[in-house]
This record gives sequence, C-alpha cells and structure tokens, in this order.
Amino acid sequence: MPLPSGSRTAADPLLEARGLTRTYTLGSGSVPAVRDVSLMIEEAEFVALQGPSGSGKTTLLNLLGLLDRPDGGTLTVDGREASGLSENERADLRRDRFGFVFQTFNLIPVLSAEENVGYPMALAGVPPDDRRSRSMELLAAVGLEQKTSVRPDLLSGGQRQRVAIARALANRPAVVFADEPTANLDSKTAEEILDLMRGLCDSRRVAFLFATHDPRVVNRARRVVSLHDGRIESDVLSTGTRT
Amino acid sequence: MSALALAWRNLIRQRRRTALMGVVVAFGFAAFALAGGFIAQSFEGLREGTIRSVGQLQAVDRRAVSTSEETTLEFGIADAARARALVARDPEVSYVLPRIDFVGLATNGTKSIPYLGVAVDPEPEAAATGARGLVTVGSYLSGDGGDGVLLGTGLASALHVRPGDRVTLMATTPDGSLNAVDGVVRGLVDVRIKELNDRYLAAGAGLVSRLLQSSGTVSKLVIFLKAGADENAASRRIASALSGAGYSVVLRGWRQLAVFYEQVKLLYVGIFGFVGAVLVVIVILSAAIVMTMAVTERTREIGTLRALGTRPSGVLRMFLAEGVAIALLGCVAGALFALLVRALLNAWGFTLPPPPGGTHGDPIHVQLYPLAYAAGLVAMVATMAIASYFPARRAARLSIVEALAHV
Repeated sequence: MPLPSGSRTAADPLLEARGLTRTYTLGSGSVPAVRDVSLMIEEAEFVALQGPSGSGKTTLLNLLGLLDRPDGGTLTVDGREASGLSENERADLRRDRFGFVFQTFNLIPVLSAEENVGYPMALAGVPPDDRRSRSMELLAAVGLEQKTSVRPDLLSGGQRQRVAIARALANRPAVVFADEPTANLDSKTAEEILDLMRGLCDSRRVAFLFATHDPRVVNRARRVVSLHDGRIESDVLSTGTRT
Repeated sequence: MSALALAWRNLIRQRRRTALMGVVVAFGFAAFALAGGFIAQSFEGLREGTIRSVGQLQAVDRRAVSTSEETTLEFGIADAARARALVARDPEVSYVLPRIDFVGLATNGTKSIPYLGVAVDPEPEAAATGARGLVTVGSYLSGDGGDGVLLGTGLASALHVRPGDRVTLMATTPDGSLNAVDGVVRGLVDVRIKELNDRYLAAGAGLVSRLLQSSGTVSKLVIFLKAGADENAASRRIASALSGAGYSVVLRGWRQLAVFYEQVKLLYVGIFGFVGAVLVVIVILSAAIVMTMAVTERTREIGTLRALGTRPSGVLRMFLAEGVAIALLGCVAGALFALLVRALLNAWGFTLPPPPGGTHGDPIHVQLYPLAYAAGLVAMVATMAIASYFPARRAARLSIVEALAHV
C-alpha cells in the first residue's frame, strides 16, 4: 500500500515527539502520565522504554502509536503532524505504517493464525491470494508454518505471540510497538521471542519500540529510554547484547 | 476478512446467544406471518360474505340514495325486467338479481310477528349468493318461488311453524292500503345474525308482487361481476346503459354499501398494528440487551481491531452485520415454524366463537399470505438493525486505550 499523504523525506525522522503531555483525570484530581516528552525514532531502531510501574511507558507507547491523543505537544509521523488527523486517517496510518504486539497477544479468537496475520492486509485491501501467501511467509518467518490453520485458543502463549508478531509485520510497517511483549511468557519462550524480534528488526529494517520492565528486553535493546514520573530520565545507546 | 465474514464467525462462536436471539426473532417473524395470514383470510372471508350479501354493484333509483321511502317501492325501479336485461348484456356481468325490500307482519292465525322481507328470483339468487347453503330445515325455493316462503329460524320458532305449514303475510302496498297473501313455508334459513334470523323472510317475486299489488317494479338490481372484472369500469358502463335507456338510477359499489367492512378492516389493522408494535419493542429490547452484552464482552477485541487499523465505521458495520445476520437466520426459522403452525391450525379445524350478534363461529384458517412474510422480514431486519445500531455505535466510539485495558 502507498504511504499516506505527507510522505517522509530522507531528512524526516520516522517518528518525532515534541513536548508530549498526557494527563488523566481521576475523580476530581488529575494524574500527569506523560510530561513534556520529546523523542525521535529512526528506521530499524530497537528501542526499549523502561521504567517502574506508573512511569508512563505504556501511555507514551500509546501516544506514539496513535492509539491515544496527547493533551499537549506535537507528534509527527513520516514528517506529517498527527494532531490534525481524523480518526479514519489515524486508523489508516496505524494500518499502513505501524504494527502492534500486546502483552496479552490480543489475537482475534474466531480467526485462524493465517487469518489473524491476514486481517490487517484485508483492511488495506490486499487481494486474498497475495494476503494468503504473505501470511504464510510471515508465519514461516516466525516458525509457525505448521500452525497456519490453527485457532489461537489451541496455540501456546509463545506461539500466540509469534502470530501476533507476524500480524504486526503484515503490512510492512515502519514501526512495531510492543507493550510488555514477554510479560506473559516463560523465560525460554521470552528469549526466543526477543531473538525473533531483533532478527526481524535487522532483516526487515523495521523499528521496534518496547514498553517493558523486563531486564531481558532492556539488555537486548540498542537504545534504552528510561522514564520516571512521566518524564525521560535518560536516553542512552546500548550494545544490545544478551546478558 | 470482511466485516460480514467476521460477524458470521462471531455468531458461530456465540452459538447459544445467537440461538437465543434467533428464537426471539423467529417467534416475532412467525407472529407476523401467522397473524397476517389469519387477518388476510378474515378480510377475504368478510369481503366474500359481504359481496354474497349485497353484490358487487347495486342499481337503485336516484331518489333512494338520499331519501328514505315512506311506502314500499316508493323509489323503486319500474320496468325492472327491461333494466335487468340491459344490465345482463354487459360482458363482465355474471348475474343480475332483482330484489324487493318490504316489511310487514307474518301470522300463523293466532300470532303475528313483524318481518323484514326480501323478494328474490330464486334460482339466480341461489346460484350467485349460495343461499341454498343457508337452509337448515326443509328446502330452498324452487322455480319462480310460487307461494313458497323461507323464514329465518328465529321467526319460524316464534310463529311455531315448520316447512309445509302455511303463514299469512301482511304488508302495506305502495298506495298505502293493507294487503295479505298466504304462503307455504318451504324452508328455514340461518342467516348467521341472530337479530336478522328473528325477522328474516324471503319469497319469490310473484308472491310478493301479489302481496304488494305492484308488478314490474323492484327496490334494486343486485349485480354480480365475472371474476377479474374491473368493478369501476363495469359500473360506469352499466350506469351509462341504464341512463341511456331512460332509467334514473345510481350504481353503488359494495364498499359503499357495506360501510362496516372498512370499519372492521380498520379495527383489524389497528389490532394487528398494535400487536406488531409490541412484538417489535420486545425484539428491540431483547436484541439491544444481547448486543450490548456482546459489545461489553468483546471490548478488548474491539480495541485490538481498532489498533490494527479498523475504522470506527468498520466496527459499526461488524456489529450491525451480526444483528442483521441473526435477523435473517431467525426469519428463516420463523418462516418454517409459521408454515408448520399454519398447517397444524388449518388441519385442526378449530372454530372461533361467534362474533357479537352472530350465530356461528368460523373455523380458523390461516392463509399463506406472502405480504405478511415480507412484512415480517422487513420488520425483523429493521428491528435488529435498530437494536444493534446503538451498541454498535458505542463500540465504534470506544477509546482504543480503554478498550485494550478492559478486563
């Protein structure tokens, strides 16, 4: 699918947040979840957003992934300012440029593994044959070529997360947002999933942005952004090696 | 994976809920189909009965339309035989029945009872109206009727007469004098209305002409048309022919003559409409509850679909498609159920109680009335679409973040 209008030039970062703020209202009070955050994400980065619970990782991930709207600040995607986009334009942008991996996998229970991977492509209008072949290719890439017709409830946690990763890559996104992708997985499976994502990041030039407090994820990241009380405490490049 | 395909998968996943909602829709549809069929049958029966009684058209003297007669045949059609022949020449006319309406007293020698009389030409009258079928005891009038009379069962009972007994009929002639003739009771008839049974008397035109001392004049010509005839066109042609022959008559259709037909029809439509509205409300409420539950249970799934790039309208379409699919499935089941119930009811031959003032109830017969099935389909699909719309709209407007965090 073509890029949405306002396509990025070589000089534009993939994602650029400036002074993002998000405050939630709780009863009569308000809780600032993200405060004046500025951040840039470039192609094929492997970035971990880390911090304690309540530090604003998931909120920031939701803002960057266009799942939520900030109260202040600006966000540009491919050089295009996102605040003025309609709900439909935001939906199209998520469909074409972003992929999502969730802590609880969030597969569509009535669809097989292949259909789950094919769903974003169906939204994008990819013809059924192309959809099917690409779904098979992606499932093979995540090691599930034998499980293409299986429904999510018959897959293990690790297998479900692999399907979710394949789905996230369906429309050749620029960025995959992953919110605690290893939280519901055992150690061995978590390691495998992280290796898989890093391999895909390198081979497909897709940026991965994780919200996590899992040290295994942090240790594999090439860049670690630490949050505290909704603010960026540090933003450092890392060797991104296995501990 | 279209919204429709996804909706279908979800319906299969939620089999029990789909079945429950489908049953509600099926009953709603069957109620429409059966009630519609029953009412259509009732209208048809009422229409046929009305036409049997008053004909499709009646020719009466122009003065009789606006003024009541002070004496019998004051506003009659003179030279009725010629008028009858003229009307019978119309290609769409099947029967022309001359009738004389008169009133008087019938006596058995010791007791006199008022009657409402009608003079008929017996054979064509029986052929057109099925009057022979009303005879319960004795026989119908034969030939030109001779001196035979038919009495309502109530009148015969009050006079203590049976077929073969003699009765004397008294009436006022058109010039105001009192006259009497003797007749022989040929048969007793049940005209299905108690008050009329207590007063009804029919006789051949010959006997009545002698009684009224008036020959060749009738109160009206009752006209029956062939099947499929254009009533309005026939009315215009006949009126024109009679007018051209010098008759000052007015043609009136059965709907004008039987005002009660439209009233009864309106009453039935009102009842049907009310019951239909209650059904629709029940289905809307049930469906809205079920669809709201579905939206609530699938909140996180909705969040996921939206995160993946489904537009709000896509979510709306998916839930609407589920509602409409349930409606279609329910209508298919409802149609089968309605056909089964219809077959059972018609085979059972259950008879309804008589209507107020009636002497006989009619057997329940439910017609296969396609319009009622179509109305049921439209009502159920529209109802489910309306019931699904608001939960679906809520689903489409959910905040993605809140939906994803839903437990």
